[in-house]
Amino acid sequence: MTNSILAAIAALVVGGGIAGATVFGLVSSQTSAPSESPGDAAKPVIQYGSRG
Amino acid sequence: MRIAAIWSVVLTALLLGPALGPGFVLTYDMVWVPDLRVGLDAWGLGSALPRAVPSDAVVGILDEVVPGAWLQTGVLAGTLVGGGLGAARLVAGLSTAARLAAVTVWIWNPFVVERLVMGHWPVLVGYAVLPWLAAAAMRWARGGPGARSGALGLAALLPIGSLSASAGLASAVVVLAFGLRRSWRRDPVLLVLLVAANLPWVVSGLAHRATATSAAEGFELFALAGEGGLPPPLTALGLGGVWNSEVLPDSREGLLVWVALVALVALAALGSRSWWRATDARIRTAYLVGWGFGWGIAVLTWLAPGALGSLAAAVPGVGLLRDGSRLLGLCALLVVVLVAHGVERIVRSDLDRVPRLVLAAGLVVHPIAVLPDAAWGVAGRLAPVSYPAEYAHLRAAVGDAEGAHVVLLPFSAFRAPAWNGGRTVLDPLARYLRPDAVTNDELVVSGRTLAGEDPRAAAVARALQAPTAEARSRELAALGIGFVVVDRTAPGPAPDLAGRPIFAGPTTSALALPGPVADPPRGAWRPGVVTAWAAFGATLLGGLLGGPVVALTRRLRERPR
Repeated sequence: MTNSILAAIAALVVGGGIAGATVFGLVSSQTSAPSESPGDAAKPVIQYGSRG
Repeated sequence: MRIAAIWSVVLTALLLGPALGPGFVLTYDMVWVPDLRVGLDAWGLGSALPRAVPSDAVVGILDEVVPGAWLQTGVLAGTLVGGGLGAARLVAGLSTAARLAAVTVWIWNPFVVERLVMGHWPVLVGYAVLPWLAAAAMRWARGGPGARSGALGLAALLPIGSLSASAGLASAVVVLAFGLRRSWRRDPVLLVLLVAANLPWVVSGLAHRATATSAAEGFELFALAGEGGLPPPLTALGLGGVWNSEVLPDSREGLLVWVALVALVALAALGSRSWWRATDARIRTAYLVGWGFGWGIAVLTWLAPGALGSLAAAVPGVGLLRDGSRLLGLCALLVVVLVAHGVERIVRSDLDRVPRLVLAAGLVVHPIAVLPDAAWGVAGRLAPVSYPAEYAHLRAAVGDAEGAHVVLLPFSAFRAPAWNGGRTVLDPLARYLRPDAVTNDELVVSGRTLAGEDPRAAAVARALQAPTAEARSRELAALGIGFVVVDRTAPGPAPDLAGRPIFAGPTTSALALPGPVADPPRGAWRPGVVTAWAAFGATLLGGLLGGPVVALTRRLRERPR
């Protein structure tokens, strides 16, 4: 009995936590300042990309 | 499957967001235009390597019927929805939560996001087709009443899944892994379909074999890369690892990369035993072969870029493996079925209804939680734009360049126009204008310039270095260049040329070079290329029309007389 209650609580915490984190991540990623565009027209040539 | 379809549509809308609106999404290698003309380059008869064969020709034909912007939206959305549905079908026997988790993992992962921003849409179309190809190949291999639909499915899907060389390679691996049965009756059919679907880029590549070797140093720059501090092999386990750090969402550069990998591996490990028990040994092997090929090639480019580079510099075609993580889509097949089985195991436990539903919801959306900034067009990176109004006038002024070719100045491959939000993209004018354009195929990566392969581009670069404007124009005309278009907003030198101005807009201008203009090259291996396209078209049409024709024939036969 105790085990099933604990399992239910754990399931609610994990599932709810992930769902909450998903909503938070979606909202914050859309409301944070946009990252600078990597393309820079002032450069002598536009690069295909950069290796990190 | 209805709920999986709805979930696929929801995820696609959330991921693409503004990209589904009016306009064109222009990012790195992805250039769509209102009306793409199918010139020699699109058929694979140009002087450059056939990097957009057969995708450009297919788009050029389809946009005669559907406007280019609509077509792009349809392709991007259809790719994600179709792929998600295919993933759900792979685990059709499992619970709803498991199928939805498969859809989420298939659509919302680093491979899809990175390739979207890189603009590798033919790779993504090929990726979307993989689960359907696997299912069709299994039907064909099993034989019996489903074999015919399997063969027709392969005929229809293989050309769609082979719109680029690397997509064709991935499709071939899946079809061979799932379909080969050492049967003299069945295997040849698979091989014929595979060859026919890939023939356009193979034949064109063979016609360019003299130049189809790649710069050895490119392999170091394009090798599998680590993300967020993860070593490259582990990054590849989580379906990430693109070489270009500019396309990474912020969430792929921090702790969330580790969290994503731990979650994925844990679910996959949890599901591995039940998947193993529930799956036929041959099918298991097929999944493992696909995963091993994708991950193995990716890791090989990281482990031995020098050796692969040396090989590619000598052997045409090895350059296909240069972009290390491009084949990682192959790994997704095994990943989604393992994760789905893992989710199945958790949600089948003895929990009450409400906790089970909440846990299932969390597991289904967990890929979004660890990659949240993929949402809404990768945080706006896929925002559509409109071409400047002057481009239409420029296109009309240049016309067909009187049968000659065009050079675009500054003579560099990429642009970052303000009207595209400053985002990097291949010079769109090369596709926007009607004539074939000779473009610079040198690539600048991390400040290093990689030599191109197109001998004609190299000749144009030399001509542009002639001492006087008259000499430059004369040398270009001798190469079959009739018109030169200058984009004054693009960085880089645009040397003066002698010629007749035919257009002057706010940001672009065009010049007709004085004659005589030599006839541009018409391409080698024309009969071979025509045959290849005939085989490609016949396979596609056979696959698309074969099903309805067979059904109609059967109905007519069964009709009482």
